[in-house]
Order: sequence, then structure tokens, then C-alpha cells
Amino acid sequence: MRLCTNCVLPETFPGIRFDDEGRCSFCQKYVGSESQERARERFREKFLKILEETETEGSYRALVAYSGGKDSTYTLMMLKEQFGLKVLAITLDHGFVSPMAVKNIRHVTAALDIDHMTIRPGETALRNVFAGSMSAGIYPMKALERASSICNSCMNLVKSFLLKTAIEMNVPLVVYGWSPGQAPLQSSVFKTNASMIRQMHKAMTQPIRNMVGDRLSGFLLEERHFEKGSEQGEDRFPYLVNPLAFSGYDEQRILEKVRKIGWVDPKDTDSNSTNCLLNSFANQVHLKQYGFHPYAFEIAGLVREGYMTREEGIKKLSTPSDVKVIEYVRKKLGFAAYT
Amino acid sequence: MDLNTVIRQFIVENFLFGEDGHLSDEMSFLESGIIDSTGILELVSFLEEKFGIAVADEELVPENLDSISNVAAYLTRKIGSAGLPV
Repeated sequence: MRLCTNCVLPETFPGIRFDDEGRCSFCQKYVGSESQERARERFREKFLKILEETETEGSYRALVAYSGGKDSTYTLMMLKEQFGLKVLAITLDHGFVSPMAVKNIRHVTAALDIDHMTIRPGETALRNVFAGSMSAGIYPMKALERASSICNSCMNLVKSFLLKTAIEMNVPLVVYGWSPGQAPLQSSVFKTNASMIRQMHKAMTQPIRNMVGDRLSGFLLEERHFEKGSEQGEDRFPYLVNPLAFSGYDEQRILEKVRKIGWVDPKDTDSNSTNCLLNSFANQVHLKQYGFHPYAFEIAGLVREGYMTREEGIKKLSTPSDVKVIEYVRKKLGFAAYT
Repeated sequence: MDLNTVIRQFIVENFLFGEDGHLSDEMSFLESGIIDSTGILELVSFLEEKFGIAVADEELVPENLDSISNVAAYLTRKIGSAGLPV
């Protein structure tokens, strides 16, 4: 299969075009590392200004989506050690968290002395969502550029729950550990508001409602969260922050740092995850349905920005997942052989 | 080239992969799923670079950004019709 000669995007990626030198249209549009560095500095300054403006006593400064993977672990470390924030880490236990990631979550939150909460929605409802997400056309193609359909469902559940919790607990920041390839720099610090999130939320959660009705609605934003003047209403919408996007990203350095506080590499996850067993199966389904790897866009972004070599990127995308793990997930979701 | 055309070109190229099929000027990007939360910020980045404006956090509302017509009206309020790109 033809790949971009500069990054790792394949010819099957939606909307891609190549120039005479074989560089893809995404690389052609890339503005260069110096410009990116200036932009990163602007967002870092914006984040520091927000920290000054949102200083509060007693309550949490930030909710952190904590998967137990290396990136969200490092994000927790940064918030605690570099910025001195009082945070609440929140983990979605979707039933497919690697046993080693479960241990890591326990070790890391203890080592950093961070408050932690796990949410565990009903198993049947979640399995129905993940199984239903395998049908093509659940999400628009744009959403599938960056993640598999199963990942989209999972992330939308997490995003909605964190917004809802931030509003209810009056916490000013919701923080994610997306890598620079997963979330563009312009999404690294921004203030949410009721009217925009209301519109986005419909598109994010309607597929989940279509699959399981109101079964998971207790974890999602409700109308009362959008109402003006109510105790849990519109003026409490938080800032969303992705610190790894504006802090620079060095995977080896991140691994070295998190290992020092007791984080251990799981052996059962695929080459693009350090916490989720579902990922191997979700990647396989996505590749078969759409013809490109769901991590290709992220890895291409990391290669383009110089955080990873092209060879490393190709290796990450071509390393086969553990067949036993794929089979375990497939059976647990109740599917016949998916090859 | 008028504002609506410039915005349509960006949306079609970046979010619809070159096929503008049923995209009307009034269609909600977010409700129709054409653009997600990350996509809205890509649109903002495009507007800032193309038109030399700064989009403030409080301006990130559907009334300004959620359809071709809304974006064109927002830009006209922000830069005036004299600032149209060629």
C-alpha cells in the first residue's frame, strides 16, 4: 500500500492526495515546527493565565480523565508536580481494562496521593454499545479519522460524564491526556459553553442512546446542565485542557518518568495502547471496514511534528496485536469470528 | 470569491472529503455530525489564519460557527465586508 513519503498516512485515508514527491496533502499543509513551537507557547501561557483566574480554595481545580495509560498517567504527574493542582482522577471501567492498567491506576494514584474515582456502568449496556458501534455509519467519517467507532463511543461517554461532573462539583478544568497527534494544538485549551456543548452533545451521544436507550443517561449531561441560572447550569461549563499538546511530547521520556512512580508496561495491550484490551479488536474492525488504521492519523501527526521517526511510526501501525486478546474481546462481545 | 464560498470550500475539503452532496448554507455542522468538537476548533484555526482575526472563547457559540451562513455572518460582523479574501 502506498504511504506518504514524509509521514505514515496511507492512500486509503479519507480525502488524501499526494504531490509529485509522494507527500500527502496533510504534510503539504503543515506549517512547520517553529510556527508550532510559537503556538504551543501561546497555549501554555493561556493555560497559566487560566490557572491564575480559576484559583479556588478547597474544591478540586481539575477533573482528569484517567485511563491508566502512560499519557494520562504523565498528565496527572504534570498537574500535581509541575502545577501543584488539586485534582480528582476519574476512570471509566468499561470491563476491558488491562489487569496491569488496573494495578497501575492503584499504584500511581497512591504514589501521587491523588483522589480517584472509578465509574463502572452496567456491563450489559456497555457491551451493547461496543457491539453496536461495530456497525458502519454510526459516526461521521471525520470522527473516524482519529479513532475507531468503539473508541468514539467510549470517549463520548467519558467526555459527557466529566463535563457533567465538573458542572455538578463546580470544578473549573477538565483535563485529558491526548497526545499531540490525537488532539490538535488548537484544542489544547478552550472554554466550553452551554450552547456549543448542547449542539455537540446531541451528535456525540445520540448513537449511544440509539443503541441502549436511556440505560446510560445517568452518566450523560442532562437538560438541567444547560439551563441558565440553575444551580448546576450554564455558567459552570469548564475549560477543556490537553496539556500534552502544548508541552511537547517525548514518548520515551514519558515512559521513563511514569515508570519511576511505579507504572509498569502492560504486556497484553496492542502497540498503540497502554491500558485497553478492547483496542486491539476495535482496531482490527476499523481496519477492515475503512481500509486504514485508526491510529494512522495520530501517528502521522507525531511523525510530522518530529516526535517520532517515520520508521517508528510504521512499526507501531504494523505490529500485530495479540490474537488471544482479540479473541477474548470478540467472544465477550458475543460476535462470531471476525477476520 | 464570497465568504460563503470560501467557508464551503474549507468545510468540503476538510470535513466532507471533497463531496459537498447535501451541504446547505443553513445546515448545522454539529447536529448533522459534519464537524465534531475537535473539528470546530480546526474551523476556528482556519478563520484565524485566513482572516487574521482572533476568535475569543466567548465567541465559540453555534450562532457564530455552526453553519456556513452563521460563520459568514460572524465574519462580516468581525471584519466587515471590506475584509473579504480574494
